[in-house]
Amino acid sequence: MKRFWKWTAGILGVLFVTVFAALSYMAGSPKDAYGMVRYALPHMHRGMLKVGSDAPDARIVALDGVSRFHIRERTHDRPLVLVFGSFT
Amino acid sequence: MGDVVQIYEDYNNRADFLTVYVREAHPTDEWQMKSNLKDDVCYAQPKTLEQRVMIANDFVKRFKFTLPFGIDDMSNAANDAYAAWPERIYIIDESGRIAYRGGIGPFNYKPEEAREWLAARYGAVKHEAPKSSTNTAPTTAQPSAPAASPTPATSAAAK
Repeated sequence: MKRFWKWTAGILGVLFVTVFAALSYMAGSPKDAYGMVRYALPHMHRGMLKVGSDAPDARIVALDGVSRFHIRERTHDRPLVLVFGSFT
Repeated sequence: MGDVVQIYEDYNNRADFLTVYVREAHPTDEWQMKSNLKDDVCYAQPKTLEQRVMIANDFVKRFKFTLPFGIDDMSNAANDAYAAWPERIYIIDESGRIAYRGGIGPFNYKPEEAREWLAARYGAVKHEAPKSSTNTAPTTAQPSAPAASPTPATSAAAK
């Protein structure tokens, strides 16, 4: 039984190292691989919206930091192109 | 972001645009990238709305960003509703429905798909090919991105 667990731990260890090496290669470095797993993956979601879904509304803060408006207020008789992103 | 700006310039007489700044993708206290240092885009993840507003204003000033701009509040309501992080594009039609859903950035963030949607509806906007180029002029220009474009840009806020 002890031998079984040793082999299991060994295989899992090799698998972990292999996956981490692959992620490091993809991300550019081991530090970036860690960053991707720790900070990016938990926040990346496909979401439930599909083409044809009702567009959800949300309150948005204007650049002055004081005024507010709703996304829905910007949808009128023309399509609305919504671009999400950040600085970094 | 350069792509998005060009699309805006080409189609803002036909469609409305709104850029929404969401939580940072590569802040100094999380997953900072070398390119952020190189481009001098170093911000910690905002903990308050004031900090978020400040960074958003820095972005707009630095890139002389012309698109209508808004900021997701600290509840991240817009981000959650649209699964927007780190960068993503949607098009909402006149009936209030999703007409185009872009992929999640950076790998599947493709402004050219939004351009194609607009072009299919309103016609392609042609651009002159660069004079130095010997190739045939493309249907649509692919302008070069700013030196330090945002995530959507790499990611867009607002990538």
